[in-house]
Amino acid sequence: MEGRISNAWRLTVNDKNFIKTALLSEIRIDGRKPFEYRKISIKFDRGDGSSEVQIGQTRVMGIVTAQLIQPYKDRPKEGTLSIFTEFSPMADPSFEPGRPGELAVELGRIIDRGLRESRAVDTESLCILAGKYVWAIRIDLHILDNGGNLVDAANIAALAALLTYLRPECSLGGEDGQEVIVHPPEIREPLPLTVHHLPIAITFGFFGNEGILLIDPTHNEEAVMGGRMTMTVNANGDICAIQKGGGEGVPQRVIMKCLQLATSKAASITKQIKDAVEAFNTERALRKIKRHPTSTGVDVRQKQNQ
Amino acid sequence: MENKKSSSPAGFIDSTVVPGDVVLDLSSMTNQTIKIGGGLRQDCDAISVMKAGTLRFSKPNKYWVESSQKRYVPCVEDTVLGIVVDSKADNFLIDIKGPALAFLPVLAFEGGTRRNIPKFEVGTLLYLRVVKANFGMNPELSCTDVSGKAAEFGPLKDGYMFEISTGLSRKLLSSPTCPILEALGKKLSFEIAIGLNGRVWVNATSPDIIVIVANAIMKSESLSTAQQIIMVEHLLKNIQ
Repeated sequence: MEGRISNAWRLTVNDKNFIKTALLSEIRIDGRKPFEYRKISIKFDRGDGSSEVQIGQTRVMGIVTAQLIQPYKDRPKEGTLSIFTEFSPMADPSFEPGRPGELAVELGRIIDRGLRESRAVDTESLCILAGKYVWAIRIDLHILDNGGNLVDAANIAALAALLTYLRPECSLGGEDGQEVIVHPPEIREPLPLTVHHLPIAITFGFFGNEGILLIDPTHNEEAVMGGRMTMTVNANGDICAIQKGGGEGVPQRVIMKCLQLATSKAASITKQIKDAVEAFNTERALRKIKRHPTSTGVDVRQKQNQ
Repeated sequence: MENKKSSSPAGFIDSTVVPGDVVLDLSSMTNQTIKIGGGLRQDCDAISVMKAGTLRFSKPNKYWVESSQKRYVPCVEDTVLGIVVDSKADNFLIDIKGPALAFLPVLAFEGGTRRNIPKFEVGTLLYLRVVKANFGMNPELSCTDVSGKAAEFGPLKDGYMFEISTGLSRKLLSSPTCPILEALGKKLSFEIAIGLNGRVWVNATSPDIIVIVANAIMKSESLSTAQQIIMVEHLLKNIQ
């Protein structure tokens, strides 16, 4: 028992007071301003449909897979989208293996609501044979390192993975047209998913005294803050979801201010995701070009850069 | 006393050693006292290495292995920064980033008696000295120096504590003064306490000085001396 206690991360009384006093002068402990995001890096090292997102020290990996299933009886023409989160114990000493804790379930729900309610992913295009076969898209989010603000990082990872995922093409065949033939990727090019818009989650932290508000809290700030709120908005200004999980109350004008901030941040993050996905797609396309070994090497890459 | 003819100790000093290396053979050195620091162990007549790192020697007779990790292995006579986790009848339980919680006896203060036991709430930061650190047992700490005086040990008020690797904390404590501290000290005034367990506490009059010092130290680990000075100048330009 004692061994496990000694592994926990602890916050000193000095740190708690310092974080609050510094915020009164609008200074955060990593030198950011209250409404500044940490550096976001999006990588696609593991191939199609998988992304690794890093916001500061927080790291999340997202993997998209698909399976053919029977649709729900009340929605025979729609595919399904499900999100699974895994809070690895290597991310934080307080994460235990096994049953997902409260935080894991809440994170999964926020991302699920942002994608499903806003119909970001077109589920009708996932239907192959109405009532019999539809694609079930499964997004697995693995938390690798908890440096604060897991929701935003996990959301970006999910979106980036969805944008680069390619599902196999399938056609109807058989005697009565009721059989589904799934073509392997070598025979027929796999297809990307139809994503209408990108709902971006932005998390705010509230500190009761003086009504201090900040964006993208780090691990230390999360331990000290009085309340949190996540807003999922897209670049068009639509609100996809809002989640305020307990904590202290905030007046209405603060919520409106958060909305404005969230919309402006969402625009820049959307652009960043789209740029990263496009760079990955270009690289993937270049890899597929078959080069003749005896040709005198017209370097396609150089031409593109010019 | 000049034992340079046995090549094994001199050969290993300042070079990388791995667990299992035998660095000293005591049978060939008689009538000498050798002090063994962290990372070394005595097996009858041979001193062997337990932790991978660089073997260091300081006159007249102290040997130890230096390595840099995020976690700390308690070693006697180290000064560390600990956080109070719990208080029992006889000891305070302190977290020093080691494999087990450490005990701070309730009486280990200057002029400490049963009547004036200090009250530390959970989360208090203390500057302490390691008294006992045996393998498998909880380490023991003290708030006094060897002679029983308080000497700066005890609770630290205000300020901000952050964590770094053990190698960087040793570099910060080395003399002559580490370049990053010198560069920061020329322009800013702050108070700093460095624990060999990888914890640093900084205090200053205004929060932005604290934030600059903390971030500068955290980033300086992989930079060379010249780069550290350039980084400090860059940071200071932004606030002035």
